[in-house]
Amino acid sequence: MQNFEINSNEIDKIKKITTEEKNFRIKNLELFRAAGFPNKRLEDWKFTDFENIVDRNFEKLDTKKVPSDINKIDLLKDFEHNYILLINGNLHSSNFDYEEKSKIKINPYDNSIDYKINKNPLVCLNHALAENGYSLEIDKNYKFKKVLVIYNFFTKDIKNKILNNKNKIKVNENAELHVIEYTINESKSKFINNVYENIILEKNSKLKNIFIQSNKSDGFFHKFLKNKLSLNSDYSNLIFSSGLKFNKLDIECDLIEENCRCNILSALFLKQNEHQEIKTLVNHLAPNCKSNQKVKNVLSSESKGVYQGKIYVKDIAQKTNAYQLSKALLLDDNAEFNSKPELEIYADDVKCSHGSSSGNIDQDSLHYLMTRGLSRNDSIKLLIKGFLNDVIEFIKNPSIKKFIESKLEEQINGR
Amino acid sequence: MLEIKNLQASINNKPILKGLDLTIKPGELHAIMGPNGSGKSTLAHVLTGKNGYEISGELNFKGENLRKIAVEERAQKGIFLAFQYPLEIPGVNTNIFLKTSLNSIRKSKGEQALDTLAFLKLVREKSSELGIDEEILSRQLNVGFSGGEKKKNEILQMKILDPNLSILDETDSGLDIDALKIIAKGVNTSRNSEKSFLIITHYQRLLEYIKPDFVHVLSDGKIIKTGCGELAEELEKTGYKKLN
Repeated sequence: MQNFEINSNEIDKIKKITTEEKNFRIKNLELFRAAGFPNKRLEDWKFTDFENIVDRNFEKLDTKKVPSDINKIDLLKDFEHNYILLINGNLHSSNFDYEEKSKIKINPYDNSIDYKINKNPLVCLNHALAENGYSLEIDKNYKFKKVLVIYNFFTKDIKNKILNNKNKIKVNENAELHVIEYTINESKSKFINNVYENIILEKNSKLKNIFIQSNKSDGFFHKFLKNKLSLNSDYSNLIFSSGLKFNKLDIECDLIEENCRCNILSALFLKQNEHQEIKTLVNHLAPNCKSNQKVKNVLSSESKGVYQGKIYVKDIAQKTNAYQLSKALLLDDNAEFNSKPELEIYADDVKCSHGSSSGNIDQDSLHYLMTRGLSRNDSIKLLIKGFLNDVIEFIKNPSIKKFIESKLEEQINGR
Repeated sequence: MLEIKNLQASINNKPILKGLDLTIKPGELHAIMGPNGSGKSTLAHVLTGKNGYEISGELNFKGENLRKIAVEERAQKGIFLAFQYPLEIPGVNTNIFLKTSLNSIRKSKGEQALDTLAFLKLVREKSSELGIDEEILSRQLNVGFSGGEKKKNEILQMKILDPNLSILDETDSGLDIDALKIIAKGVNTSRNSEKSFLIITHYQRLLEYIKPDFVHVLSDGKIIKTGCGELAEELEKTGYKKLN
């Protein structure tokens, strides 16, 4: 693609910034310019040639601002919830009617520049240009009564854009939060959403996050997630998909103090030419922490799933318990699943394991179900649901579970 | 009910059934006995329509050519196989599976689907009739079931789906005496002038509890002897070798 160039004056247009911030942005822009869009020559992108994907899908791209107005959005009725509404990544409004509002701070984009230089070119691009997003902070000892839905709404007028957004969630000591990130995309055109998200869990805090979308989408989504877990904190991230054409989640978790728990689970059903990658790096930097990664992909037609999962255990992180599993069920000869597990361990008293498998539908199981009168199609659906089930079982709230199940069902039925 | 004429079946060019004839009329219970490798399980698989066999000969069920009927339609038309090795299906709740199964069979007959309440009532009735703890139905299908539980679950499925022709493939193997009685009860309480059974077994033991109308000896892919209940007793004493 010839037409994507970012001029330094894009940064000059950003209002009210300090010299320090400006330098930070310029430096990151230079890094991005030098690297370009990431391609398969980079180890972290070897299964996802983003440069090529951009070339094939965009004739031009720009980073110009888009209006973030809407008339109306349909809120979920499946369960009671608080919400934050983001329009094209920009904080539009919020509602915490179920909570004590004084315990919650919600602000637009946090412009701190306390970020290390990252080797991911899309993160550099984000650091250079991001102006939108939200910052959410929960006071210590405050436990959310209802789930918080973050509506990530994209308007129909975005086309050939790269939106760079930056978010931050801080859960203070003893606080608890349950988030559902729900993407609604009205745009029928192609665009790129490039997000950097920073999650900080203080002592004894808890954050549960579910990632799902309302509908199919032609957007290209990339999110870099940087998490920091302190003493006894508990983080879980459940990733589902309702038809994102392209999605890459790059998740880094630093377990910096003892007794943290980190769960990254995913149940994906991919079809047509959908491409989804989950890349993780779980850094065990303190003793007695537990991490659990389980990625389950069902792949049909020409879809592609990628899982690159790494566990790093520092020498002092004794008694680490780290587990990693990826399983793929391939429904079609043209579907593809790539998995790259990595363990890097410097402590000697740890329990780490990983496993990866991919295969087709078991013909004997299929026959067994069909001898009970189920059609071939219904039998396959049942086997798919069974395959993805243990991730869904992780959701304890019955109405949320039902909602996620119905979303997955829509996906599988539309196969 | 079932009419098999000169049935030949082979897998990977290896002949297993070599001209088998068998007729089962409504209300009859037939037992097939035979040594290992004689083709008993192949017969069961061929009747359910399992892939991978090359077949010739006639195979009629209620006057229809079974060979033209798909696996699930055979079930919908009333053929049931209790598997020798029931498969474990992770993540699939037994109750939900069974309800889906029952309702697809009902739907094919033009009957109304059972709602959850009516279904659970039926399950409760059938499991208490057999003395099976219905708790196993809330678990994942056959996952972590003991050998006995798997077999009992097959018989419970048979009771709930209420087929015309039930084929039991070595359902008695590896069962203790109590479980064996449950299996026998499942069969005996279902017997009537319309239901037929084909019981495949190695041992005469099960036939002490289920009285067959006919006993066949299958050897090297053919039925070599047919008799009544006494034939089974005779085999128990003399073994299969003498027949060859």
